[in-house]
Amino acid sequence: MAVLTSPAPVTATAPQADPPRRRRRWSRIAFHVAVGTAVALWLLPMLWMAVLALSDNEALQRNSQTLVPLGLTFDNVVGELRTSLIPRWFFNSVVVTGITTAGTVLTSALAGYAFGRLHFRFKKPLFVLTLAGLMVPREAMFIPLYLMFATTDQLNSYQALSMPRIALPLGVFIMTQFFKAVPAEMEEAARLDGAGHWRTFFQIMLPLAKPAMAALAIFAFVQSWNDYLWPLVVGTNPQFYTLTVGLAQQQASFEAARSLGDLMARGVLGSLPLVVVFLLFQRHLVRGIALGSGEK
Amino acid sequence: MVSSTKSIPATQAPPAPPAGGRRTSASSRREARTAAVFLAPFLLLFVAFILYPVLQAVAMSLFDWDLLTQSATDFGLDNYVRMLGGTGLTWSLTSMLSWRLVLLAVVVTLALAARRGRLGARTAAVTAAPLLLLVLALGIHPGPGGQWNDPRFWAALRHTVEFTVVATPLLVVGGLAMALLVNRKGRSSAFYRTAFFLPYVLPVSVVTLIWIYLLNPDRGLVAWLTERLGLGAVDYLNEPTTALPAVILTTVWWTVGFTMILFLAGLQDIEPSLYEAASLDGAGRWDSFLHITVPGLKRVTVLVVVSQVIASFQIFGQVYLMTRGGPGDSSLVLIQHVYESGIRDSALGYASALSLVLLVVILVVSLAQLKLLRSEES
Repeated sequence: MAVLTSPAPVTATAPQADPPRRRRRWSRIAFHVAVGTAVALWLLPMLWMAVLALSDNEALQRNSQTLVPLGLTFDNVVGELRTSLIPRWFFNSVVVTGITTAGTVLTSALAGYAFGRLHFRFKKPLFVLTLAGLMVPREAMFIPLYLMFATTDQLNSYQALSMPRIALPLGVFIMTQFFKAVPAEMEEAARLDGAGHWRTFFQIMLPLAKPAMAALAIFAFVQSWNDYLWPLVVGTNPQFYTLTVGLAQQQASFEAARSLGDLMARGVLGSLPLVVVFLLFQRHLVRGIALGSGEK
Repeated sequence: MVSSTKSIPATQAPPAPPAGGRRTSASSRREARTAAVFLAPFLLLFVAFILYPVLQAVAMSLFDWDLLTQSATDFGLDNYVRMLGGTGLTWSLTSMLSWRLVLLAVVVTLALAARRGRLGARTAAVTAAPLLLLVLALGIHPGPGGQWNDPRFWAALRHTVEFTVVATPLLVVGGLAMALLVNRKGRSSAFYRTAFFLPYVLPVSVVTLIWIYLLNPDRGLVAWLTERLGLGAVDYLNEPTTALPAVILTTVWWTVGFTMILFLAGLQDIEPSLYEAASLDGAGRWDSFLHITVPGLKRVTVLVVVSQVIASFQIFGQVYLMTRGGPGDSSLVLIQHVYESGIRDSALGYASALSLVLLVVILVVSLAQLKLLRSEES
């Protein structure tokens, strides 16, 4: 009897003693249910793509309005990996994005150090010129660039795909701000040890700048990987498509509509690399993006 | 002998002040050389691939450039006449009336703000004057029997502006709402942030692939839902009235996570002590939002609006992949017109003239941003 009654007062008095806490708990649950539903709806399009990618093509002909794979199969994914140009496009994207990202980070860090720490003539006009470059809509100015590479017979080449995207005024601006903020003592200590500008830069400044450079790298990486217009303009041979351009081919064609599973498998394969990179380096990416346009 | 020994110190003396001074001038020369080496890679690529193309575009727009024959002929303003001109143009009060009324309303708001002293009279005048000119200019249209030289340019310009005017507020308000929703500590909020941001990392071609089929009247989930609700299925991408809104919806889904991140960064820059002080003073949640959050986010809001306007004006991938600018030209945008004129039709001079319209618009927006941020700081 005592065993049965003793817990009862506790449960009976607790809500009376503290009704706001109970109300708060309910409102918290309601909040999570609401946001959780929104998140589920938000991710539904991606989930649907994955479901169709794992479905049988024949079954999809009859019905594609499903949220569970119809005749679960990996044939679409394996088939796309084996027979399509996706591995080649993936390789192209890796090369182009690699050159662009490394180039952007390196040139921005070098120029940012010069603008932020060195004294030289024409520093101000050169920096203003760089800032003016922020206002050039790079996406829109592709006609002269196209002419440049077309007349020198360099369409369908890695240099055409990556070179115009290396110089990034925004990157220089970010790195300049960063190097300006480094306390002068750090540099003076190195100077007293007899280190020149080069050694100071590589041994003191670059290691300090790692977080800023990581953020910049990821910003440049996402921009380059998802670039669509310039690779479309400059790559006329399917061998030189990037993944983003390659996946866009024949998307809405009649042929493609009959093999919806294959099409969605390509989509999954095309988005997987960046989704994985994002989930791994999430914190850096978010910082890079905040940095990327927040500072502008 | 004497003259020679005398002449040597005479020529060497002037550039030889005290020893310390000589060392600094030598080291500053060395510093300038180092700076040149550090700057060279960026500056070379910057000039070659960013600055030179702008000048080249201006030059090309003045010629009839043909890619196939690699020749430039007919120097002049022909490209601009083709772009902006028309035959039998007239002016009327009612042409594009709704657009002009909206612009007029903006001018009136500016005037009222200036009268109440919330805006400098000069700033108000400088902003209002071009807007009033625009209201006048929008009255120009081809009369009966006349037509624009390039109706596609005007259609593209109109859709680009429509896209920007609709998508930007959606992205700003949506991003802010999401940021407020997930700006909490804890694992679940971190998960929500990740989920809302995730679509942003997809390539544009995957986003359009998903949404082309999601919106498909026979095969998509949207049609499944609307049919269950008894609304029937609509072929959104092939209806002139719904094609552009469908692209806007897709764009919001794809990129609103990006503006959410920017607003989150802005929210985290607001001093937490401000909220504590306000709640001690008995301020409610809504009061804190209005008097602390909103003013605290002013700067980041300007940045988000400007970056979204600039990005929206350069919209291309989603439209091109989802609708090809169709049906008809009902969703054609400027960059697609540049792309098709230049690359498909090989009219590089005309395409350059078209792209300069974008350059001018983006310059104006960027300069307005600089001005806004500067007046904010002072």
